[in-house]
Amino acid sequence: MIPPVEVSPLIKVTRYSALLLGMIYGKKRYDYLKPVAAEERRIEEEEKKKREEMERIAKALAEASEDTILK
Amino acid sequence: MAQAAQRLAKAAVAKAPQLLSAAAAYSRPRLATFWHYARVELAPPTPVEVPKAVESARALLRAFRAGRLAQLSVREALRNGLVATEVLMWFYIGEILGKRGLVGYNV
Repeated sequence: MIPPVEVSPLIKVTRYSALLLGMIYGKKRYDYLKPVAAEERRIEEEEKKKREEMERIAKALAEASEDTILK
Repeated sequence: MAQAAQRLAKAAVAKAPQLLSAAAAYSRPRLATFWHYARVELAPPTPVEVPKAVESARALLRAFRAGRLAQLSVREALRNGLVATEVLMWFYIGEILGKRGLVGYNV
């Protein structure tokens, strides 16, 4: 087997500092995005509830004002 | 169709040990080669190497200021670009580890 190449110290140092920087960046960004997404989900849930309530009322109204002899 | 699927599943279960040992036999020498090179070439920098790295970064900056960029051959420039890209990819590996998920940000 041919002997392994002696990698330049500069490349090694930049490699591993890039790895570390990436880890810090990923953690920071995750921690920033997490509450944003939670808030969005909460609002979505609230709106869905409101929409369903409105639909239920509209349906009840339509049924009440229907002209039918089958009641 | 269902019978064919059953036959296939049965064959897979019957052949699983054989397949696994074949996979192990295939990957063992390759992993040994990988390890032989990786333990030297992918090793993190030792504390002794840090000042050397700083010095060569300075030298790089000096060379850049002296207009070395204009004298690079296409081959050298290509090689430098590949090395820079490889180092950049380490950043993304770090990001994957930092956000603890391979695809996107699972928030």
